[in-house]
Amino acid sequence: MAYSDKVIDHYENPRNVGKLDAEDPDVGTGMVGAPACGDVMRLQIKVNDAGVIEDAKFKTYGCGSAIASSSLATEWMKGKTLDEAETIKNTQLAEELALPPVKIHCSVLAEDAIKAAVRDYKQKKGLL
Amino acid sequence: MSTCHFALFDLQPAFVLDLEQLAVRYRELARETHPDRFADAPAREQRQALERAAQLNDAYQTLKSPSRRALYLLGLRGDTLPLEATVQDPEFLLRQMMLREELEELQDSADLAGVAAFKRRLKAAQAELEGDFAACWDQPGERERAERLMRRMQFLDKLAFEVRELEERLDD
Repeated sequence: MAYSDKVIDHYENPRNVGKLDAEDPDVGTGMVGAPACGDVMRLQIKVNDAGVIEDAKFKTYGCGSAIASSSLATEWMKGKTLDEAETIKNTQLAEELALPPVKIHCSVLAEDAIKAAVRDYKQKKGLL
Repeated sequence: MSTCHFALFDLQPAFVLDLEQLAVRYRELARETHPDRFADAPAREQRQALERAAQLNDAYQTLKSPSRRALYLLGLRGDTLPLEATVQDPEFLLRQMMLREELEELQDSADLAGVAAFKRRLKAAQAELEGDFAACWDQPGERERAERLMRRMQFLDKLAFEVRELEERLDD
């Protein structure tokens, strides 16, 4: 199966790979996995006092589409408020990356990771 | 058409299976239903023979893999579970991530003894998961836990696959 140029670009030059301190009260961590393909994805956000995501990092063990989906997700999240970030949909990620139908679940995983990271942050701050 | 996979082998649905016996029975049944035996039969019977052979193969592949057997059993007892799902099992996933990192380091250092030790730990972890699943999957009120254990088995399958790939690369 051929990957789109955008997937290859994110796969070869992933944005924002890395780790933030999960113990930092300003950091939210989303840990999700797709058991059927064994993909594991960690997506982290660092939120400033104004409620804006000032940094985002990810680490994904998975296929090119899963890596590209999480890479793009971190790119899109930076500079957004939590509420804005939560509106990012897997369909937008899949469309931007031109994912084929069999790889749509990779973008679903990235959306679930965004939601998990935001929820973790909100729980830490007592907002949930 | 949709005979239960276990019934095809004259077995009751169970997680603990004698895999050697299953393999022997599979070969017997495969011989009996082999489409070649129906080469001179009418087209309808030939088609049925093909379907039976495909069904038998599917059943065997499902039953011989612990994670696929677990998924199938949970489907028999309740709603069929989707193959694709997002799992949120943070501690387990964090451990998976650390194990993948460890595997990367073993690759970088081409540490064959390290890979062998890693494989032993993985096998032990798989055996433990399978034991836990066997003890709870048919217990009332344990479905959620059984499902989580089955999903964990799937992740370890992937890890085992990665180990095999690494072994092949290091072999070259």
